[in-house]
Amino acid sequence: MKGNIIKYARDNIDTDVIIPGQYLKVHDYTELATHAMEGLDPDFHSKVKEGDFILSGKNFGCGSSREHAPIALSHCGVKAILALSFARIFYRNSVDGAFLLPIEIDQDAYDGISEGDEIDIDVSKNEIKNITKNQTYKMKPFSEIIGKIIAAGGLFMYKPDQD
Amino acid sequence: MGKTLFEKIWESHIVVEKQNEPDLIYIDRHLVHEVTSPQAFDGLRMNNRKVRRPDLTIATMDHNVPTSDRSLPILDQTSAVQIKTLENNCKDFGIKLFDINSPNQGIVHVIGPQLGITLPGSTIVCGDSHTSTHGAFGALALGIGTSEVEHVLASQTLWLEKPKTFEVRVEGKRKNPHAVTAKDIILSIIKNIGTAGGTGTVIEYRGEGIRDLSMDQRMTICNMSIEGGARAGLVAPDQKTFDYLRGREYTPKNYDSLVDSWKDTLKTDSDATFDKQFILDINDIAPQVSWGTNPEMTCNVDEPIPSSDEFSNGNANQKKGAEKALEYMDLESGTMIEDIKIDRVFIGSCTNARLEDLIEASKIVQGQKVASNVKAMVVPGSQMVKKQAEEMGLDKIFIDANFEWRAAGCSMCLGMNPDILSPGERCASTSNRNFEGRQGNGGRTHLVSPVMAAAAAINGHFVDVRKLDLN
Repeated sequence: MKGNIIKYARDNIDTDVIIPGQYLKVHDYTELATHAMEGLDPDFHSKVKEGDFILSGKNFGCGSSREHAPIALSHCGVKAILALSFARIFYRNSVDGAFLLPIEIDQDAYDGISEGDEIDIDVSKNEIKNITKNQTYKMKPFSEIIGKIIAAGGLFMYKPDQD
Repeated sequence: MGKTLFEKIWESHIVVEKQNEPDLIYIDRHLVHEVTSPQAFDGLRMNNRKVRRPDLTIATMDHNVPTSDRSLPILDQTSAVQIKTLENNCKDFGIKLFDINSPNQGIVHVIGPQLGITLPGSTIVCGDSHTSTHGAFGALALGIGTSEVEHVLASQTLWLEKPKTFEVRVEGKRKNPHAVTAKDIILSIIKNIGTAGGTGTVIEYRGEGIRDLSMDQRMTICNMSIEGGARAGLVAPDQKTFDYLRGREYTPKNYDSLVDSWKDTLKTDSDATFDKQFILDINDIAPQVSWGTNPEMTCNVDEPIPSSDEFSNGNANQKKGAEKALEYMDLESGTMIEDIKIDRVFIGSCTNARLEDLIEASKIVQGQKVASNVKAMVVPGSQMVKKQAEEMGLDKIFIDANFEWRAAGCSMCLGMNPDILSPGERCASTSNRNFEGRQGNGGRTHLVSPVMAAAAAINGHFVDVRKLDLN
């Protein structure tokens, strides 16, 4: 999975800045997406393109349980969030509806990847290639459980393995 | 080896358990509100599914309801649609709804306990992160997203990864429990463990400092577990818990026999161990005031705002975060908290809008006037809290002091209804999140206890409530 990076070099990006509360009344996902990141970066919509990845620091998606947050980002074309760590409800919301991949990275990847870099994520090898800089980093593997929900295509598609 | 309270509740709710798979957990109570449920009901319709247990599902409207005159139509059309949609969904799927005209309407986490819907040892979910509030009763209460809401509506179960256990032990006694409150305890905990300190865990709050708290105060503590990153927070039930729930509208008929069984089982065994531990001594803690844009950016009321270096301890992202926060809040490090002037005061939210919160705040307000440059409002957590407060004459105390006295809802905690800050306005707020724009685009939030908010309203700036006579 290839895409370009939009980098927010900070911790604790909360779901209120990803999609401010006033838009939680919006039922249409396409309209919701027009307000994504409005609380954080007014230039987001001029930057983001289909297939992009967001890179950020610790505790990404903290705060409110609003699933509108991963939905709004995915409807802007964002396919994955790469972060040093995630808040758990955002993490789970991202995979439950198969909206985007929450990928935990280490400090090397966080420091090494810059805004605009072209990245290739290989989930099967738990590897992130930085094509722009010709570097490779490890991603933290998904837990077995999360991996299975992702592989199934979301919470409603998931069935436990049969004996 | 012994088990923790959380592990006992978890194990008693497993429906399906397999190695290397999530556990399928049974859900005893599902609380629903207007904002995180419409897509879930759409999903049920699309797949021709019913609600599996409408009798275990309860709905109310709280997030975007107006708190002004309820006899008037709702002006915001998108809010009106969302509220109407919940009414239709509850009618179509046979779910009990406390609508905007119900005497039981209120913030979902305030009405659950008040109605006796929240029970010890049960599993409770709601499409809201502050579901952790119900943990005060020894319930395992989890905030979930809308896909999970749909899953619970359809099956009354959830696939969950078992969280780790985290003991937060609160030791000692507060010297002035009217001035140093449960809010100050939980803000102190978050200041120490950080906003991600509890990630992937369920916190059990233990120790003398927790046992001493009333149920309203324990709810304030558990409410903000999510602000420390935890999946949930809980307190083992005791006599205070059992007494609180007795005789409420939805308390089960066989309540006394349930209490007998809970007394034996709903506690952490003495030989149980936790994955993580934090100890807070509250003998000398001060009232807390947040200065930044997340709840760990908090300091004592008698301290200056820290510099970004002091706050970050050498961590580059923390330093940058503190610098951005100070810029957003228009504050300088070194400024004494008591010198910060405020424009607005909000006493409300699922954190601090229960009866005891309003009683404590009213003691400061009685016979005083809100400072001339400040606009202040009280938004009771539920219509029932509002009624009880009015029976005690609290409404009159607040109104005479020039506070607005509103109807129940989430209101200015999250800026979904007309109760919002204007850009640049600074608010002393009893809510739970001081994120950028949380209370309205460009608004600046300082998290405080109800007594601290009331004192700030009267004085126009923060004051150390330990200096006031509160007894």
